[in-house]
Amino acid sequence: MKPRDRFQQLSKQAVNNPSLQIALDNNASRRRKGWEKAYSSLPNPDATRKKAREIRQDVIENLGAYLDQFMGQVITNGILVHWAENASQASQMVVEITQRHAANLVVKSKSMVTEEINLNSALESAGILVVETDLGEYIVQLRGERPTHIISPAVHLRKEDVAETFEKHLNMPYTTDITTMNAAARRKLRDDFLTAKVGISGVNFGVAETGTLCLVTNEGNGRMVTTVPQVHIAVMGAERLVPTLDDLATILQVLPRSATGQKMTSYLNWINKPRQNGDPDGPNERHLVVVDNGRLAQRRTQFSEALACIRCGACLNACPVYQEVGGRTYNSVYPGPIGALVSPALFGIQNHGHLSKASTLCGACKDACPVGIDIPLLLQRTRVQFVDKVSQPQFISLGMRLYAWTASSPARYKRAQKAVFWLMRLLPRKAGWVRWMPLQLSAWTRKRHFPSFARKPFREHWGKTKPVRVVGLSSVEEQEEEMIAPRMPRSSQEDLSGRFEEELHLVGGEFVRIKAEKLAAEVTSHFQNMEVHAVIAWETEMIGSEEIRLHSEAVGIDWLSPTLSNDVSRRIQEVTRIGKVQAGITGAIAAIADTGTLVLTSGVGKSQMASLLPRIHVVVLSSKDIYATMSEWLSIAGKRVMANTSCIAFVTGPSRTADIEMTLTTGVHGPAKVIVFCVE
Amino acid sequence: MTQQTQLFVTCLVDSLFPEVGVAVVEVLTRAGESVRFPRAQTCCGQPAFNSGYQQEARRMAQHTLEVFGATDGPIVLPSGSCAAMLVHGYIELFKEDPFWLPRAKALAARTYEFSQYLVDELNYVETSAFFHGSLAFHPSCHLLRDLGVEKQPISLLEQVRGVQIKPLEAECCGFGGAFSIDHEVVSSEMLSRRLSQVGESESQVVVSCDVSCLLHIEGGLRKRGSKVRCAHLAQILAGKSAGLK
Repeated sequence: MKPRDRFQQLSKQAVNNPSLQIALDNNASRRRKGWEKAYSSLPNPDATRKKAREIRQDVIENLGAYLDQFMGQVITNGILVHWAENASQASQMVVEITQRHAANLVVKSKSMVTEEINLNSALESAGILVVETDLGEYIVQLRGERPTHIISPAVHLRKEDVAETFEKHLNMPYTTDITTMNAAARRKLRDDFLTAKVGISGVNFGVAETGTLCLVTNEGNGRMVTTVPQVHIAVMGAERLVPTLDDLATILQVLPRSATGQKMTSYLNWINKPRQNGDPDGPNERHLVVVDNGRLAQRRTQFSEALACIRCGACLNACPVYQEVGGRTYNSVYPGPIGALVSPALFGIQNHGHLSKASTLCGACKDACPVGIDIPLLLQRTRVQFVDKVSQPQFISLGMRLYAWTASSPARYKRAQKAVFWLMRLLPRKAGWVRWMPLQLSAWTRKRHFPSFARKPFREHWGKTKPVRVVGLSSVEEQEEEMIAPRMPRSSQEDLSGRFEEELHLVGGEFVRIKAEKLAAEVTSHFQNMEVHAVIAWETEMIGSEEIRLHSEAVGIDWLSPTLSNDVSRRIQEVTRIGKVQAGITGAIAAIADTGTLVLTSGVGKSQMASLLPRIHVVVLSSKDIYATMSEWLSIAGKRVMANTSCIAFVTGPSRTADIEMTLTTGVHGPAKVIVFCVE
Repeated sequence: MTQQTQLFVTCLVDSLFPEVGVAVVEVLTRAGESVRFPRAQTCCGQPAFNSGYQQEARRMAQHTLEVFGATDGPIVLPSGSCAAMLVHGYIELFKEDPFWLPRAKALAARTYEFSQYLVDELNYVETSAFFHGSLAFHPSCHLLRDLGVEKQPISLLEQVRGVQIKPLEAECCGFGGAFSIDHEVVSSEMLSRRLSQVGESESQVVVSCDVSCLLHIEGGLRKRGSKVRCAHLAQILAGKSAGLK
């Protein structure tokens, strides 16, 4: 079947599927509203998007240089780098690394590039079991389907579909209660997280200046797969770079807003190095596979702008065609507007060029795009290539040539107008509108009437001119303000902690203002009220750590500061034991007020598991460590910590997912409760 | 000094809805413009351009550039999508052509969509039109997103006495040229969505600055036997009755 015919078949199925239609409508309305609301929280949204576009354009133009800088830094940091020219090389590299570690189970977080390189098939062919840990990906994997959206893989499913799937594959009674379903997935996946030797992730952005790998997630599975297993393999598209940490902070203002309408996702991971001497945990070995697969060549084409894409999915949410047909209709790893551009470029115009025509060029995608990719223009350019390289139906090609010939001569044009007028007179009509047209044109009249040609076209009406009046012309002045996240002087600490508290509440975290002398008692009493019997704790860089430990041990709470073994099987045992602990307590080197975010670095005495595995995460924060924005923190303090920490986790509230029918549940893989004690 | 305005009436208005062209001329004349109609004009070439038929599009674009290149003064089009074709599409078509590109740029610099011209260039104030009833305004995609024209049509409609305006969400009507045939099923679903929104607005007339959208919308309305009609903005300002025919 020709690809374009398959598209027709699938789109017909899609529009006639009421359940899918409801799911797609929900996605469109929720995501569009979320986008509006999130962007309105920026002081100057247009300027921020413009800056984001400039950053990505700079990267595309200088990709070679930035890649050199980036990979050099990554290697210096101790991460092993592999360059893959194409999809099969990339997946083979991942398979080989996995086999070297004799791993027969890998846990994986969501990554579009791994879909692109068909990684799961390659691993399965090598006898390696792959568990997708992103809830949406997990669900589609159980169903043997491909994801249908860049951000929400299971967007096409209703809760009844998921309930059926879980009943069948997880051996649980049928229930459409979303909280119950999420909990069941969590329990099942947790075992896999804790026992897998290898974790595979994508990379949202690589930072060229520091070699940092940045992951942006909500569920906690991204942190899990990059922290718990002995070996971490990251797979990254070669174009996914930003030049500096400051640039990263700007892009992070638009990515969550565009993707899910959040000011910040629950987690960011800034991964610098593998486990260092003194780190209590973290993977001993980290690998980065950088995938070219046509990206470098695309820079030299008229489609280079599409490389700026940050894979936020906003264009899918804005697209009225996607809303009608859903992702499966595109029959490609990348669906929607960006998919219609990327698929022909990566996978060939023969089988995917037709996607460029599944659009009215309405431009809603361009409006939604945080980096301003002119998708309609690039779609038109793709259509030119499509017409050039793939044979089109005869009647269209002939029709176009006839039309152009007619319209390049006024005399021919006028004669054609008359001819069509008379032909249309033969068609059944009502009040000047035609009810049926022959051949391919009958597709129009299935649901619409078509206006008949006028007996007297406008050019025949044209005759006299009227006397004129002098009218003044006006001039318009335009001003543009160039302002993004202004570098304000540090706000007063009171303002900042108030703002932080507000934002933390908005993301479902709890805030307790406390004086240093009351801290230990208050924390311990919280633990008791929550019936916590054991705690994983930071030993260093946490205010009052000694005192809190003493208070807690005095009431019988076990205080653990585990350092993981380097022996793989012992490590798995240790992790499984730690996995049962109910609470973790950490410090934070900083907090960011405008998103309610906590910044946790790794290092000696600072277990990463403490903020990741338990259901409850308690943080002891000093009020003087609160900064207004991420940019402010970076310029005052943040950049200095980069060299000394293998991994930074940014925690914004409890872990969350909305993968089942867009219903928000907290406490998926990461903690369900985040309590911040803010010490004055 | 009188301002000569060149009317590019567009193929859809010329062949299907000449009364819209007549209304445009009336309003421009009322606004003090001396309207010219270069008779050799045909079609801007957008259908070929959008379909990827570059050569055919260039042929029609060159004809248009020759016809209007021989004129002076602003060029006004009663169509957002055709105006966008001249302002942006021609630049793309001729971006590598040292002969036609400067001509395309010169043309683009003096091309306006009708409502854009009235408000931004003429500061036009509507004093005689009235419309007793409610109308829904459909913001057409190219007008809104390619030309950035959003407030101008609304501000003109607001000056019409007696009118109640219901703005519709900025969503595509589903026409998209060849899309309406190639992807008829999806196009009809998008239209259906739009018609529901029109129904919910409980308005009597749907107004837009693009007859391409309007013919799609009214085509759907008539198929359903609806009494709601469509009108181009110019027809409302010129005090004409609604219904594209």
